[in-house]
Amino acid sequence: MTNPDDQFDELMRRSLHDEAEQVQPADGLHQIQARVRDQHKPAVRRPWLLTAGAAVVGTAAAIGAFTMLGNDGPATKDAEVAGPADSTKTVTGPVPASQLPTAAPATPEPTLAPTEAPKVAPTPRGKVEQVTSKAVPVYWLGKTAGVDTGAGVRLYRTWAQIKGRPAYEALRLMTSGKSVDPDYSSPWQGSAVSSVTRADGLITVDFKVLPRQQLAPAVANMAAQQLVYTVQGAMDVTGPVQVTVQGEPVTRLFGVDTAQPLSRAQALDVQAFIWVTYPENGTIVRAPLKVSGIAAAHEASLNYRITANKTGQLIAEGSTQTTEAYKLTPYSFTVTKLPAGEYTLEIFEISMEDGRQTSTDTKTFYVR
Amino acid sequence: MAQPAVVYEECVAQESSWDADEALTAVYTAHYTSLVRLGALLLRDTGSAEEIVQDAFVAMHSRWHRLRDPHKALSYLRTAVVNRCRSRQRHLVVVDKHTPRSLPDEPSAEQAVLRTAETDRVIDAMRTLPEKQRTVMVLRYYADLSEAEIADTMGISRGSVKSHAARASKSLRQVLEQSR
Repeated sequence: MTNPDDQFDELMRRSLHDEAEQVQPADGLHQIQARVRDQHKPAVRRPWLLTAGAAVVGTAAAIGAFTMLGNDGPATKDAEVAGPADSTKTVTGPVPASQLPTAAPATPEPTLAPTEAPKVAPTPRGKVEQVTSKAVPVYWLGKTAGVDTGAGVRLYRTWAQIKGRPAYEALRLMTSGKSVDPDYSSPWQGSAVSSVTRADGLITVDFKVLPRQQLAPAVANMAAQQLVYTVQGAMDVTGPVQVTVQGEPVTRLFGVDTAQPLSRAQALDVQAFIWVTYPENGTIVRAPLKVSGIAAAHEASLNYRITANKTGQLIAEGSTQTTEAYKLTPYSFTVTKLPAGEYTLEIFEISMEDGRQTSTDTKTFYVR
Repeated sequence: MAQPAVVYEECVAQESSWDADEALTAVYTAHYTSLVRLGALLLRDTGSAEEIVQDAFVAMHSRWHRLRDPHKALSYLRTAVVNRCRSRQRHLVVVDKHTPRSLPDEPSAEQAVLRTAETDRVIDAMRTLPEKQRTVMVLRYYADLSEAEIADTMGISRGSVKSHAARASKSLRQVLEQSR
């Protein structure tokens, strides 16, 4: 070895490996597995585990309701038992920016005393929803830029104020394909919903016409979840969803064999990693602007950038933190200086692998 | 006599069909020991290193849906371990100011016996380096990472890696020269 560099390199390599080999860690697998289990138990309530329970409670509550109501008979009280009445999540005022869609519904607290006579007639297949006025979430597919694994699309959510039957109206918006955010799309466009009914915990969505698009299996699966999330979000329940066409069960959606009924997938598997819940796309806001949303980020860290649309000038940029790393948890930050104008907000994560900007959610908004 | 650098040999086959639990077991089997050793070199405290590596595995498990690939998982784990060790070290520096001798830096009696005099000198010399320089050297000579990989892992530019490595080599040479 004549090259002193080689000698130095060799010495370093040898010494560090030598030192490292002194370290003989004890077996840690069981500890890690135990922690993984612990982490999952209290922190995230699995929607599908709750499904069965919620359905049972719902049914029991329904029976309870009949008992309390006396002899009116099921036909006239159908709407009251169409789902566990859940007043805590019904929104009548302005759309809440921070409402978490991932939160499993709380233990249903059925309203035992109806305040008004339901006006909807039952269909043979189950009970239709009660007509109401509320804000409903509508889910869309958006590209997961920079995340190469998986379907390439994930679920994004917008809110809509509706009057009528919540799930039916939400699906009408979803199948119209017209999202308030042009980055989001719906492969259900072109289909037509006929009815949404619910019986014994099973939600049935009947279509007049199914979408004709053929999709890759992973995307078809995401589109099926788009339907499940939209229906369940509007109905405030997490029961399984059966798709039928003119009353007949279907086995294929978007050209892909689909097991029915559809159950809700875990949020982390389908929900986009970064959501901006406020401001919504195309809205008018005031400064100071508090941007908020939900994201699952590495080390809880997110980046944002606000640019002025007219000049392309960078107005603000920085980083912000979600409440907890790796899980879908809320984040927010405030931008104080925003003169009147049109802006683009981007929230994104920097890839650990190659520094690329990933999972970007973009919103256009106006300041008056 | 030089030991081949096989710490991060790719003994995990491409298996994107694994679920998070299977991936955890497989990646654990392949890389747990080497990651703890990496942490122990950075911290000189095996207990803390084990704790940090376990944290990283728990995090990897919850993120498997996004990684899906054992190689990505390894680079994710390595980055997590390095980052956590670095922030732990920075914390220790602060603590050190109040407690002159911090325990983790005291090698155990057995370790002292097993180590060669040569290794002793190098490890002692490494202790004189600032945190960033030490981390670069450990990633380079123990983990056998390229400049670009070190830059990614530490979240710094390749230029910084180069200059940290150059400065570290220079001071190590000096210290080793004197202690010979």
